[in-house]
Amino acid sequence: MTREAEIDAMLLQHRVQSFLFHEADLLDRWQLNEWEALFADEASYLVPPTDVDGDFADPSKSLFYIFDDRTRIHERVVRLEKKGAHSEFPRSKTRHLVSNVRATAQGDTIEATASFAVWRSKDGNTDIFVGHYSYRLVEIDGALRIAEKKCVLDMDALRPHARISILL
Amino acid sequence: MDQSLRPVVDETRGIYRVPRRAFVDQTVFERECRAIFDKCWLYLGHASELPNPGDYVTRKVAGRPMLFTRDKDDQYHALINVCPHRGAVVCRERKGSSPAFQCMYHGWVFANTGRLMVVPGHAGYPADYKDDPGKQLSHAPRFDRFGDFFFVSFAADGEDLATYLAGAGDYLKLVSEQSSKGMTIVGGTQEYSIRGNWKLLAENSVDGYHAASTHSTYLEYLKNANGSTHDTRLAGFGHDLGNGHAVIEYFAPWGRPIANWIPLWGEEGKSEIEAIQQDLTTRLGQERADRIAKQSRNMIIFPNLVINDVMAITVRTFWPTAPDYMEVNAWALAPAEESEWLRKFRLFNFTEFLGPGGFATPDDVEAIEKCQVGYQAAREAQYNDISRGMLREGGSAYDDELQMRCFWNEWDRRIQEHGA
Repeated sequence: MTREAEIDAMLLQHRVQSFLFHEADLLDRWQLNEWEALFADEASYLVPPTDVDGDFADPSKSLFYIFDDRTRIHERVVRLEKKGAHSEFPRSKTRHLVSNVRATAQGDTIEATASFAVWRSKDGNTDIFVGHYSYRLVEIDGALRIAEKKCVLDMDALRPHARISILL
Repeated sequence: MDQSLRPVVDETRGIYRVPRRAFVDQTVFERECRAIFDKCWLYLGHASELPNPGDYVTRKVAGRPMLFTRDKDDQYHALINVCPHRGAVVCRERKGSSPAFQCMYHGWVFANTGRLMVVPGHAGYPADYKDDPGKQLSHAPRFDRFGDFFFVSFAADGEDLATYLAGAGDYLKLVSEQSSKGMTIVGGTQEYSIRGNWKLLAENSVDGYHAASTHSTYLEYLKNANGSTHDTRLAGFGHDLGNGHAVIEYFAPWGRPIANWIPLWGEEGKSEIEAIQQDLTTRLGQERADRIAKQSRNMIIFPNLVINDVMAITVRTFWPTAPDYMEVNAWALAPAEESEWLRKFRLFNFTEFLGPGGFATPDDVEAIEKCQVGYQAAREAQYNDISRGMLREGGSAYDDELQMRCFWNEWDRRIQEHGA
């Protein structure tokens, strides 16, 4: 790798990592409208189940936990802003740890992966979601936007959890 | 058993109260294991999970590790997945295809019929050792199918499956008849838990009364997504299916990927939905076709199988491991011949409501877990009330509580029958 290519890779790494850390911060502060604004006009948010190969599973062929298109991402935020989203009212405390970030640019899109551990605490219980993210990012008007966010749970089953009522 | 743990019922005055201690008491839980889960027919799996000879799946049924196989002669087997030698779980993979299974502990090998084939170091045993009936994989004491739904019972004696299912059988057919080629379990299982008593989920799964309050945000989502053009109101009836099974059958504002189109799916799919409706009508007649297409059904098959034919079809089991904890498994069931387009919308529809990431199930879980917390005060705040609609004339409404009473009557009968 030439020095110029190395610097490009460092800048990409820094840019993607900063973006993911910013997203995690928005989620932990429940700034959901700002979070939604990170998505492109065509986008999906996916969480595969734990008994399929989440890196390759297709939500139109396998039953997922979450299979949101852009409209439903918006509706998910609309719902979570209401008191009637009982599971998250009052809101739980969450903390997203994001690490092992890797990014590669391919034309206009950036493929990024990262590891995550998300803690959700409420009513005396703390549940941990462990897994890895797979992002497809696009640049729109000079800013990164999410075209796809897939959260692959590296867990045997979603237990003892009962729900993915927060945003991973 | 302590009489204070039984439901308090007065049919003429419309009283039906359930003691909350029945959800928290350890002795009740142990009694349920013996009186209910050791006796009843329990759901094992669906034929479509074993599409070819040699296929198998492993799963727990009432705590027992089970190995569900299809042999080369297309015979199905419900094997106890435990080595007769020293008791280790034999097949440790979730699913696959294999004519035989080797125990990792001492290397015994069993055919997918359960027959012992190889014992390493057999010289240390008598010559006919392998043929000893006690050295084969055990079969579930009883094993039967209703259509493509397979059940086991851990009791050697009792009524046959069809008799046990009673009126629930026809409702299983209403699901199976949605396909002329056979229904299939779609890949991908939702496996989660709820910190609550298992009976709370039995009740919740067939509860039409809670929709407006628990699921207000889901109903508002439907309005946002489909506009006012699709504003069917929730309306229908509840039915006692016998033996503790019950169903609610009703009209609802969501789309059904079996001939009930909604605007969210786009105009391009309308003709396909119409063709499905036509096929249903040709095969089953107008009345039954309309019923299948337009009405939703939530059914509990006692004790712990739920088949909800709603905005998609979910097959759900839930197994208690303690009074305040259950493990839930949920699958999606779909017509095998369904187009890619419709399958996608079916799964999209499933996830809008159902499961840990849906817009509704998490709030059911919240209700169940908050009930379980509330029952910690069972000594002071003693009873649940499930009397809604008891004195109503002209049939039970979908949002009455007949379904819960059917469940609890059977629960009480079995607990009492079991004796001290």
